[in-house]
Amino acid sequence: MPDLLLELGLEELPASFVRSGLESLGTAAKELLAAHRLDCVSIETLGTPRRLTIVAHALPDAQPDREEVVAGPPWNVAFKDGAWTKAAEGFAKKNGVSMDALFERTNEDPKKPSTVAAKVFEQGRATAEVLAELLPELCRRASFPKSMRWGAGDFAFGRPVQWLVALLDDVVVPFEFAGIASGRTTRGHRFLAPASFEVPSAAAYEDALEGRHVIVRIERRRALMEQAISLAAGALGGTLVPDEFLLSECSMLVEKPFVVPGSFEPRFLELPEAVIVSVMRDHQRYFAVKGPDGKLLPRYLNVVGTANDPERIAKGNDRVLRARLADARFFVNEDRKQKLVDRRPKLDAVTFQHKLGSIGAKVERIERIARHLATVQQLDASLVGRAAQLAKCDLESLIVFEFPELQGQMGRFYAEKDGEDPAVCLAIEEHWRPAGASDAVPTQALGALLAVADRLDTLVGCFAIGQAPKGNADPFGLRRAALGVIRIALEGPIDVPIAEAVDTAIAALAHLDFDAAAVRREVLAFVSARLDAQFRGEYGADLVDAVLGAWNHGSLRDFRARLEALAGFRSAAEYEPLAVAFKRAFNIAAQATGDVDASLLEAGAEKDLADAFAKARADIDAHTAKGEYAAALARVATDLKAPIDRFFDDVFVMVDDERVRGNRLALLGQIAGTVSRIVHFHKLQPAEKS
Amino acid sequence: MHFQDLILTLERFWAEHGCVIGQPYNSEVGAGTFNPHTFLRAIGPEPWNVAYVEPSRRPTDGRYGENPNRLQQFHQYQVILKPSPLNIQELYLDSLRALGTDPTKHDVRFIEDDWESPTLGAWGLGWQVWLDGLEISQFTYFQQCGGIDCKPISGELTYGLERIAMYLQDVDDVYDLSYAEGIRYGDLFQRNEWEWSTYNFERADVELHKRLFDEYEAQVYRLLGLSTEKQKGNVLEWLEADPKKRLVLPAYDCVVKCSHYFNVLDARGAISVTERQRYIQRVRHIARGAAVAWYEQREALGFPLLKKVAEAAE
Repeated sequence: MPDLLLELGLEELPASFVRSGLESLGTAAKELLAAHRLDCVSIETLGTPRRLTIVAHALPDAQPDREEVVAGPPWNVAFKDGAWTKAAEGFAKKNGVSMDALFERTNEDPKKPSTVAAKVFEQGRATAEVLAELLPELCRRASFPKSMRWGAGDFAFGRPVQWLVALLDDVVVPFEFAGIASGRTTRGHRFLAPASFEVPSAAAYEDALEGRHVIVRIERRRALMEQAISLAAGALGGTLVPDEFLLSECSMLVEKPFVVPGSFEPRFLELPEAVIVSVMRDHQRYFAVKGPDGKLLPRYLNVVGTANDPERIAKGNDRVLRARLADARFFVNEDRKQKLVDRRPKLDAVTFQHKLGSIGAKVERIERIARHLATVQQLDASLVGRAAQLAKCDLESLIVFEFPELQGQMGRFYAEKDGEDPAVCLAIEEHWRPAGASDAVPTQALGALLAVADRLDTLVGCFAIGQAPKGNADPFGLRRAALGVIRIALEGPIDVPIAEAVDTAIAALAHLDFDAAAVRREVLAFVSARLDAQFRGEYGADLVDAVLGAWNHGSLRDFRARLEALAGFRSAAEYEPLAVAFKRAFNIAAQATGDVDASLLEAGAEKDLADAFAKARADIDAHTAKGEYAAALARVATDLKAPIDRFFDDVFVMVDDERVRGNRLALLGQIAGTVSRIVHFHKLQPAEKS
Repeated sequence: MHFQDLILTLERFWAEHGCVIGQPYNSEVGAGTFNPHTFLRAIGPEPWNVAYVEPSRRPTDGRYGENPNRLQQFHQYQVILKPSPLNIQELYLDSLRALGTDPTKHDVRFIEDDWESPTLGAWGLGWQVWLDGLEISQFTYFQQCGGIDCKPISGELTYGLERIAMYLQDVDDVYDLSYAEGIRYGDLFQRNEWEWSTYNFERADVELHKRLFDEYEAQVYRLLGLSTEKQKGNVLEWLEADPKKRLVLPAYDCVVKCSHYFNVLDARGAISVTERQRYIQRVRHIARGAAVAWYEQREALGFPLLKKVAEAAE
């Protein structure tokens, strides 16, 4: 059971190329080996910036033999007038069988004619032989975010191919790819063990490389790196500022991780910490270190590929960082020559979207929408105007131009320096949140109001100018915007009455020419679709559907309250029978018109139901109106379940007497109406009893 | 090592490795790539190895001689190896060793950095080279030039001479560099930086530069025999059908001038965002015209450098 080792030696690959290259090679190896009847126990991928490696464990020595029935031309073409035709002879020759091995085979599809066929035996070939043919195809199937050509320009790959190692245990699998012949010669670390050397066997590969300063197993390299930086952070008397991007990136930039600590002048600590961290991360890939007091230390950790002379390396890096920090400080000092609010007029000249106008115009709309939302929810609106006007001003600062990811944080910093109200300062930062699925929502109402207003303005504006997402294309991030509004309402400090909010956003765009009713409909449907996508996994599509129908685009928290009430109710014994009964009531009641005439009610099940409903109705409606959906559902279950079941058992609705029939329909219609204001029972799909 | 010794060492190194030692272009360029030694010679099948210094102008980077790291004119050392040899990275590292930089004593890394020049219709994949965290070179495999697919591929090495010199001389301020014995970089260029910064940001005549752009652009069409009718899209319509009658080099000179005037107008703040795109498209179109004209002319001449290689092989 030999192992296959394939190593592609390359010029330095970017981290994302290593990942996508290995993923595609792993998938392709699995497919190709299976397609060639070479089943292996497992496939591993290993890699560094200079090599992509696939190991397939425990391959068979040869393909298994196989015999299969091969179908040829139609029988009436192969056999005519009691004799084989040329077509039959050709088929036999092609498959290497004698004429007397041919037989007629009926087609699986009875509409199609039978064919001539033959049992063809194929002897399994030696694995090494198959691999020699298969490996070039495997290499071709490596895919990268971008590919390039080099030299004569005949081949395209993620980076130029320098060498190829292909071993089946200890035997070279000979093939050629990108003008390079495979062999057993690989290379060690570019600087620490530059000589090429021969890999004795697939099993010896990993250790042989490790002896030459290459840690080829990605997880191991990353673990070693994390260990080294934690240790180094401890040695500096601090702890690492966690940064998943850097951990994953830096472990892919070196073949063996060494950590070199460096430092910068403490005077730069007067810069906001976020600026220092961004300068270090974005430009130089340095890790930041915090002291015991939680504050940034004037130190950093640098993951490097060679560290024979750490002091020299640190000195060089210190110099680069110093220049970068000096630049950042220059930007911050320049920015601070002007108050944040004084940048507001500049936003009028910055285009948000050419039909939707400037960022300044957007700010005005945000203020208007946020004010309205604050008013209808009886929130303090006194700071809304100031916060809205300042929210986007840092986009015009030098530092945010240089480090766009600091938007909001720098606005807050400058606002604090300008002596703005602390709530306003916080809102400037928080109104960008959530920036993505993993980002937190605003913690305070003011930032949440702006965040919701900003997103709704974008959402409604884009629908109004015909820029709704199509298929996978969502250039304005509208799905994320809608999801942001939902998350803010459900996880954050304020609720959002969604139809009301959309109407306000539409009103703020009154100067544009668009079909307001259609946009309202589309945006609300879009929000519903996001709610559905968000909750169907947890609650089931039919539950979400039942709630969406009754909810009618009220507040987002109301949506969730209904969903939770219904989900809680689902486990009650009455759930399924009630769902079935109300589904029936609802369907029948679709024909209902008019009021119930008590004099027409028949004693027994019909009268009992009408009485029970009359008694419970006001309470159920009151619970519903107050948003006490669990209580409303509980009343429905206790008061209406038994009567309605009896009604359906004992009473025939569709009697010939038109007045009696109409009256029964009207009764069911009223009950269905009351219950439908909680949830749409008729949309539920009670599980089949198994 | 004085600044000029750095240049001399690189000249010697690359001459010994088979490069023609070229000269800077005698018109304002933003980078060594604009020099016809690179932009035109990277096009077509002819082999070509060249190395040269290129004083490069970036008007928007001017800081009036007050910033220790930023200059509106700096010096690139440009190397083109076409086709790119498989040992091009090793050659580059050898050139660092020739400068006295032992890569085993430093942290040298190749960090992804793709390059694109929208005005030249050129792009490539490659790296920036870090020496102890400092970006000292750009390393690019040209994929397209003037909108034409490159084949063979040129490997382009661009050394940032000031940065490397600051590193080698251990100085924090570019103006403190020793240029030659007894001469500081600042002696030669600090006033230069102030004057050109003032010119680019404050004094350059906007109307003149707009007019010069238009005139030189028109000149490209005339010299190439290129129709002005179909400037939009990628269509090149030739009025002059004979590639040998087109004046490719003077036309390309005008392309370079247009690019420079555009840069000055940009630094001067005289171009709006939408105008900016339009200017870039205009330069791109004439750059493409010159590139295609160059290719067709070399083809009409029988790709002379290709013939030389064939002769040498016989």
